[in-house]
Amino acid sequence: MHELGNTIRRDRFVQITCGYVVLWTFAVFNWLWFRVLPDWLLWIIFLPAIPLVVIWVSKEFPHSLKQFQWNIRSATTASVAFLPAWQLAVFISDQLSLYAVGAYAARIGTGAAFMIGLAWVVWGMEQASQHYDLLRLRKRRSDAHLSLELNSDEDDASGERIWNPLDTRAWYYGRKGRKLNQSVTGLMSYSFVFCMAFLIFSKISGCQELYEMPAGGGEQKPIAQKVKVQKVIKKKFIVNPFSAILFQVPPIDEVKLQLTEITKHAYTVGYGEGTGAGFAGGTKRGKVRFIRLEYTGGDWDQDFGVGADLNMLIEYNVRTQQQVADRTESRTVAQLNNFPKGKSPPVVYLTGQKNISLSKGEVKILKEYLLEKHGMLFGDNGGSRHFHNQFLAMMNRVLPQVRPVAIPLDDTIHRIPYQIPFLPYVAPHGGKEALGWKVDGRWVAYYHPGDIGDAWTDDHSGISPEIWEACYQLGTNVIFYGHTEYSKWLEAQKKK
Amino acid sequence: MKRSLLLLIAVLISFVSLQRANAAALDEMSLKQYAKLREVERYQMKIADKYYHERNYKVAMAEYEKFLTLYERSIGAPYAQLRWSICLVHQRKLNTAIKEGFQSVVDYWPESNEAIAADYYIAKTYKDMGEVRKAKKTYQSVLDDHPKHLAAVYTCSDLIEIAKVQKDSDLLVKMWKQLTFETPRNRESKSLCQRASYELASYQFYQAALKEGLEALKTTYSEEQLAYYVLYYSRRPISTMAADSKTKAKAEKFADECIAYIRSVTPKNTSEEEDELIALNNGYYIGDIHIAAGRDTKVVPYYQEMMKQFGERDTIRDKIATYFKSKNKYDEARAQYRQYKNKVEGNSQIAYSYRQQKNYDPAVLAYRQNVVLDPDQAVHWNSTIATTYREASKYKEAVAVYEELYKTDSKNAEKWIWQIATTYRDAGEHKQAIAYYRQSNNFPSNYSEMAACHRRLKEYKEAIILYNQIIGGAPKSAAWALYEVARTQEAAGNKEKAILTFQQVCKRFPKDSYASRAHAHLQNTYKITVTLGGAKDE
Repeated sequence: MHELGNTIRRDRFVQITCGYVVLWTFAVFNWLWFRVLPDWLLWIIFLPAIPLVVIWVSKEFPHSLKQFQWNIRSATTASVAFLPAWQLAVFISDQLSLYAVGAYAARIGTGAAFMIGLAWVVWGMEQASQHYDLLRLRKRRSDAHLSLELNSDEDDASGERIWNPLDTRAWYYGRKGRKLNQSVTGLMSYSFVFCMAFLIFSKISGCQELYEMPAGGGEQKPIAQKVKVQKVIKKKFIVNPFSAILFQVPPIDEVKLQLTEITKHAYTVGYGEGTGAGFAGGTKRGKVRFIRLEYTGGDWDQDFGVGADLNMLIEYNVRTQQQVADRTESRTVAQLNNFPKGKSPPVVYLTGQKNISLSKGEVKILKEYLLEKHGMLFGDNGGSRHFHNQFLAMMNRVLPQVRPVAIPLDDTIHRIPYQIPFLPYVAPHGGKEALGWKVDGRWVAYYHPGDIGDAWTDDHSGISPEIWEACYQLGTNVIFYGHTEYSKWLEAQKKK
Repeated sequence: MKRSLLLLIAVLISFVSLQRANAAALDEMSLKQYAKLREVERYQMKIADKYYHERNYKVAMAEYEKFLTLYERSIGAPYAQLRWSICLVHQRKLNTAIKEGFQSVVDYWPESNEAIAADYYIAKTYKDMGEVRKAKKTYQSVLDDHPKHLAAVYTCSDLIEIAKVQKDSDLLVKMWKQLTFETPRNRESKSLCQRASYELASYQFYQAALKEGLEALKTTYSEEQLAYYVLYYSRRPISTMAADSKTKAKAEKFADECIAYIRSVTPKNTSEEEDELIALNNGYYIGDIHIAAGRDTKVVPYYQEMMKQFGERDTIRDKIATYFKSKNKYDEARAQYRQYKNKVEGNSQIAYSYRQQKNYDPAVLAYRQNVVLDPDQAVHWNSTIATTYREASKYKEAVAVYEELYKTDSKNAEKWIWQIATTYRDAGEHKQAIAYYRQSNNFPSNYSEMAACHRRLKEYKEAIILYNQIIGGAPKSAAWALYEVARTQEAAGNKEKAILTFQQVCKRFPKDSYASRAHAHLQNTYKITVTLGGAKDE
């Protein structure tokens, strides 16, 4: 009776687990590509993985490790349990903005997944080859052969060509070192399949994603200083002119003007005729997001996350009063393809100090993003002359018929909303001039040569307040420019 | 060889001068106009021009503005306004320059010469701002309205630049043709027209159109020069086409046409020395075209044929030997050099060919023969022997030769001391190197070399002292020297001091490229984000 109860409970637990796996898989796909579900819901879905994994593992693995012996069930449990554990580590790091930890977790997890898969491949091949050997032996016994030994010459002499790669007697493994040849082939094939799967998953375009600007309006004007005049009226004494006491009468209405100079937005920072700071083409739930572009070959994640990008995003919110996202994000170049025309990010940020390696496909996507989707690239040299050359070379591939020019100091991008009559930089890695690529009267790429991202960090790299303040202003200008141009374009599209 | 070198230098000079000269003449006031200025106006204008030429554009701008305020109706006013606008361009305020500067010249003084220049500058400024469409439109209006003005010449040149980027071959050829065939050549336009003519010729040669290319070249070069320039501009197109199997036949045909042309301008009667020289040179050009077309079987027989026609000549043998070397046949090349009439030159070439093969002993032997054969140039040959020893990593022998030179050629004692020191440095004998560098007066290079030697000897304190002396004595090298101090501290294991010094580099020289390196090094190696530094470029 007790056993029956256990069986029923176990069956129910298996059913619960199966149901959860389906839900978990859906949530993972959403987390990686769709991004439809809100973060809080993802937390709710992912967190139950912890007790489930613990229960399954504790069931299969006894408390005393001395008693423990690997078997197919325990190995399967351990392998399957690894996946949610890995995913959870990356998810939590991502949610807590521990991007470096998340990146390490992702890399280590990929390595571990490869090793686990390899172990299963080795085990599977061994099982299969033993199985085929046994079949052969049985067949031979039934054919009343005297010799029990497996003679390779005999096998070959049988005239049958074996094609099955799981069988060590397959003809292409040769006559000598068949086992070794099979192992090498298995390893190579597995590595190839794993690499291909990794590439596909990491470059996969996924489903559609939306970028919506905050709704509202405003003017594309420089921030003006407003002088507030405050009247301070001195205390007056009421004196009886007929009094017997002689008073020295003070001037009747001595008014002191106190001029308080304050910097205040004399208008709403935005573009269009809506109310509140925002953009005409925006939506109520729309927010200004800071999206960093991931690329291969270099350190795209330099100062990524809480330290710098988020500071800039918060400053943008403080300075423009526009709605901004809670967190900064990153997308691969391929993922830019997921954004539809009219709902794609107006600006993406790219930094680093090493190589920028883009495939032909990525170059095409970036070109389409800049020209067709009216996007803008905000490049920042994170620390070397080499990166300067890499960025220029990349742009030469993306826009071969547009040459970079030094952006004038009196250009809109340097004047609105903040007037910046100079180029602030942390270190002159790529010269002292901001470069731009202009297409049809619009900057499609702004390249800052001197590590503006370092000025946005918490410690501002130790540079003077004047410079880091100017760097925030410049960052605000570039983000604002991108969004304004996008808004203008959306309006023009509507009119068409 | 010499001729091509001269041509290369000429092209480089013309290119550099073009870059500088482009649009320069447009911003100058004519003498006629200057003569009409009153004395007070001239005085104010001179002050403004002085600052302009000193590139102190902020002050120059204020002075031009002063001129405009004081002498609004002066004949120099449009010029002052134009210069004021150019000052703004130099201060990277291009939008303001167009709206408030150049446009004002056009609006207020539409009939002036400066208005045409301002039109051109508006277009050029648009181009420099990346507004290519607007630039092209304005350039076109300059071309339409003032086709004979110098501004039109500069316009063509700028449009060529745009067309190259946009790969607009129609516009490119149109502008090249306009400059080559239609523009009168004067002091200002000559270099641009010449450049256009040979770019057009090169383009036509890539299309295997000899006749059209020749027409372009004829506008720039004399009949005698043409054969050489046909070779010069056809060589690369021929070799490019010959390398591709699809265009090989085209290359063959074009090469034959070029050869036929060169033959047609070669004197048949070579009894006169001058004619013989022309025929000989043209013969070389034909040989070079055979080589460019990849006609390996024809090259050597062709030169041998030349030898029969012109007799044994070192220059012909040089051509054959150079060809052999290009085919990695060094022994055959040396066989030619051995037959040189000028034994010294032959030996020099033999030695050089051995050096190219990294076979140094026979090279030294050949040079030693030259020391005997050519005693007047003994210093040169001995110096070359020492260089060869250094290439062979035989530093002891090289030092011995340099020391001998130091004794015999006292005029160049400083040079030989430096060479001895450098040889010791390369040999890893740093103490000896330091001793010789100390004798040199080549500051701060000698101090930097000495410091580097001390660092290799792990004598870090001494190195730092030397770097500090560079910081004090050579302000231009101060940023580099401070950066090296930091690296020396790092090598000595003084991490804290190294970090502080790297930060000093960022703080003291925030605009220098070494600040950039120090900043990146602090971040990458020490994970230190507070690097100090930071600057603004106004």
